[in-house]
Amino acid sequence: MTLNKLFYPKLAILNLKKNSNTYVPYILTCIGSIIAFYTMVSIHSNKGLEQMPGATNLKFILFLGIIVIGIFSVIFLFYTNSFLIKRRKKELGLYSILGLEKKHIARVLFYETAFVTVISLTLGLIGGILIGKLLFLLLLNIIHFKSPLAFQIDYYGLLITMGVFLAIFGLTLLTNFLQVKLTNPIDLLKGGQHGEKEPKSSWIVTLIGIISLGIGYGIALSVKTPLTALLLFFVAVVFVIIGTYALFISGSITLLKRLKKNKKFYYQSRNFISVSGMIYRMKQNAVGLANICILSTMVLVTLSTTVSLYIGQESMRRDFYPLDVSIVGEVSNTDFAEINQIVEAEKTQANVEIVDELSFDMAKFRAFREGNHFKKDMVEDESTDALYYQTVSDLVIIPLDDYNRLTGENKSLAANQTMVFSVGDNYGEQTIAFGDEQLLVTEELESIPMDFKKTQNVGHVYYLIVKDDAVMTAIYQAMKNDDDPETTLHALMFNINGTEDQANAFSANMRSAVTQSSPDIKIQNLYESLSELYGFFGGFLFLGVFLGSLFMMATVLIIYFKQISEGYEDSERFEIMQKVGMDKTEVKKTIGKQILMVFFLPLAGAMVHVAFAFPVITKMLAAFRLTNTTLIFLCTLVGVVVYALVYTAVYLLTAKSYYKMIK
Amino acid sequence: MRLLEVKNLKKIYTTRFGGNQVQALANVSFSVEQGEYVAIMGESGSGKTTLLNILASLDKPTSGEVFLDGKNIVTIQDSEISAFRRDNLGFVFQDFNLLDTFSLQDNIFLPLVLAQKNYEEMNGRLKPLAKRLEIEDILPKFPYEVSGGQKQRAAVARALITQPKLVLADEPTGALDSKAAMNLLKIFSGINDLGQTILMVTHSVAAASHANRVLFIKDGEIFNQIYRGSMSNDDMYQKISYTLSVLASGGDDVE
Ligand SMILES: Nc1ncnc2c1ncn2[C@@H]1O[C@H](COP(=O)(O)OP(=O)(O)O)[C@@H](O)[C@H]1O
Ligand SMILES: [Mg+2]
Repeated sequence: MTLNKLFYPKLAILNLKKNSNTYVPYILTCIGSIIAFYTMVSIHSNKGLEQMPGATNLKFILFLGIIVIGIFSVIFLFYTNSFLIKRRKKELGLYSILGLEKKHIARVLFYETAFVTVISLTLGLIGGILIGKLLFLLLLNIIHFKSPLAFQIDYYGLLITMGVFLAIFGLTLLTNFLQVKLTNPIDLLKGGQHGEKEPKSSWIVTLIGIISLGIGYGIALSVKTPLTALLLFFVAVVFVIIGTYALFISGSITLLKRLKKNKKFYYQSRNFISVSGMIYRMKQNAVGLANICILSTMVLVTLSTTVSLYIGQESMRRDFYPLDVSIVGEVSNTDFAEINQIVEAEKTQANVEIVDELSFDMAKFRAFREGNHFKKDMVEDESTDALYYQTVSDLVIIPLDDYNRLTGENKSLAANQTMVFSVGDNYGEQTIAFGDEQLLVTEELESIPMDFKKTQNVGHVYYLIVKDDAVMTAIYQAMKNDDDPETTLHALMFNINGTEDQANAFSANMRSAVTQSSPDIKIQNLYESLSELYGFFGGFLFLGVFLGSLFMMATVLIIYFKQISEGYEDSERFEIMQKVGMDKTEVKKTIGKQILMVFFLPLAGAMVHVAFAFPVITKMLAAFRLTNTTLIFLCTLVGVVVYALVYTAVYLLTAKSYYKMIK
Repeated sequence: MRLLEVKNLKKIYTTRFGGNQVQALANVSFSVEQGEYVAIMGESGSGKTTLLNILASLDKPTSGEVFLDGKNIVTIQDSEISAFRRDNLGFVFQDFNLLDTFSLQDNIFLPLVLAQKNYEEMNGRLKPLAKRLEIEDILPKFPYEVSGGQKQRAAVARALITQPKLVLADEPTGALDSKAAMNLLKIFSGINDLGQTILMVTHSVAAASHANRVLFIKDGEIFNQIYRGSMSNDDMYQKISYTLSVLASGGDDVE
């Protein structure tokens, strides 16, 4: 057979046009993935970003994003491609019967993939360059990075993106070749109806599903500390994913089969059609539904955690910085009079106010608590992380006269007495012992000027008020570690009133002036940490929104493909039912009920997952010092509601095209 | 007793964007007695399926009337039409029209379930029917697991289980091999012997030769008919073949 050279490309274009209702969404997905990938790569490699504080963290987050998007693209494009080729088996079989050899079919497939690749890469990269710039500006805004950065076209990024996606497209083409090669024309012709077997439900798989889900949920519910939450979260995720797949695949069929066995229930006109239809559909789409369920859960968890973190930064910062600025130096070698002068001068210069000023002596060291004993070393030999975390404590000792001066109270203490303030749960013991020395606890304080109670603390911090400097020094000398300073400390703490810019200027100038006069001094400044935290949590938020949108796109596409493929099948089925005597309104009602249940099952599943994940998420965020459970709850709730609305909108839109097919 | 009466049936298809009009039925009148087995023959495109669809109340004629047991099915309300079809008519299609989502048994039950019969009654009706059609063993199987002949017998069972007044069959042997086709025709003759009225569209002479009467349709009109009388199947076969050849040559001098 001699064929015109242009025959294959022409046929390929014709095929793409004919299948445009599936290929257009597919190409859009490819474009979306390419845009996402290129954007991440180019932002990651942006030189200007390196100048910002906390750049290493941000870059790491972005790198993580590149990996996730890469893996996602591979999986998702493979999934959609296999869906498309499966639907076209009949068409390809027809070519084969009409006299196209397999190698000719392969050639047509090659041209098809080539067209898809060229279109996707061209539009994707152009889109990436345009949208990438927009997203870059968004990122800078989120991380509060003021100085304008140029966003250049990243040629290296373009090359990487092209390479990655050419490889992905090449692989999909190979699998399509394999599909054609491995099947004979008759099979290809039957392709559409192939494997329509009564689904087997296996109790073992169902059991595995239930157990996995149980373990996953169990871990999520039983996690006690933020650290274990961080460690076990991903273990729980894996179990939940396994459980979801197993239950969607087998559990749902087991359940439906039980319903089918109940003859009274099953042989009622509405149940009859929907139960059998769902069994049939479950088998075909259990994986698709499980995918939707897991993607939805991922969208919800990613969005709610990153938004919570971003919004919650303010309160988190307060946990680390009870007051905006704290300047701490050794009593022996620091001239606090001079430091006060510097602060005064800088304050006037930057035109800010200084309020809530605290100035006091203190000693500070780290020790390990066992009951009412504090020791220099770990209590037990087998030092596991969890145990370390439970026992390690920061102790701050303050003399009584400073305390009385700052609070305006008039308490008194004997040499062997102390008042305790704990930032977390109350200390709870009558005495407190350091080595041989033992102090009687006269009072557990409810508040203290230099710190405050935290609802869910990550570490233990105890403030002890003691009779005088002598007692403080004695304890400090007994307990201090080798790398702690020689003598006790003096602290100056205050808040800054002024605009963010003023405060930033003051902070920078004050730090350089103070460190010039006393090089060993330690300054902690909320404002200086701000930009770093913004970079960190802003980066997270950016990635969260970015991935959230990507997963959402995937969900929408899976739903759309499902509706289309089911529409074709169902239109035949319902035509037959009408011939046998089912009336139109009944048909419509049955369809409605059926797709509603099938579609909202994954959403319901995702919501249950999120509900169980909530405790572990709050614990995990506590590790980042985000302890505001109400805030996290609200963010999650808003996320779920918004997502449910979007999901419903997508469902309604695609249901429309589904109904059109049935008609 | 007269079961079906068709009067001056006319059907004109108008293509969707106006324009072309196709006259599928010009002027068709005939009637079917209770217990008759009637075959309708004609070339492809002569209007057989159109006629059957109208009789099945799946389509409306442009003009004309159809009475089933004295009731005009052309004027039945849309809301009642499904129930009417379910209660009075049974269908056998060329391509079986079984649902892959149901086992054969459930396919057969479908019209009864739609009519809200309970399981015991459905099962009671199925048992003797399945035995007669020799499909007892394959009832739990799914359509894609059985042969064409078996599928068609299940479809016949589905048509008969509602105990319809009239069974309509459109090329029921069209997708079957000759052995399965013979088997199906025997079944049709058998149920007709038990009193079931059957109207079958076919262009297979062998199939038509089993009927009591054969109607020939050409260009949307009844062209001729043959009564079996006391003829054997073979005689019928000869006569039908002869009529068809005359029909094909365009002559109009048959008897
Ligand atoms: N839905 C339709 N729209 C337009 N024309 C139709 C339609 N159905 C059938 N026809 C035309 O009506 C005529 C009779 O068709 P049909 O009843 O299917 O014939 P048969 O079943 O005898 O082969 C044919 O010319 C056919 O093209
Ligand atoms: Mg026909």
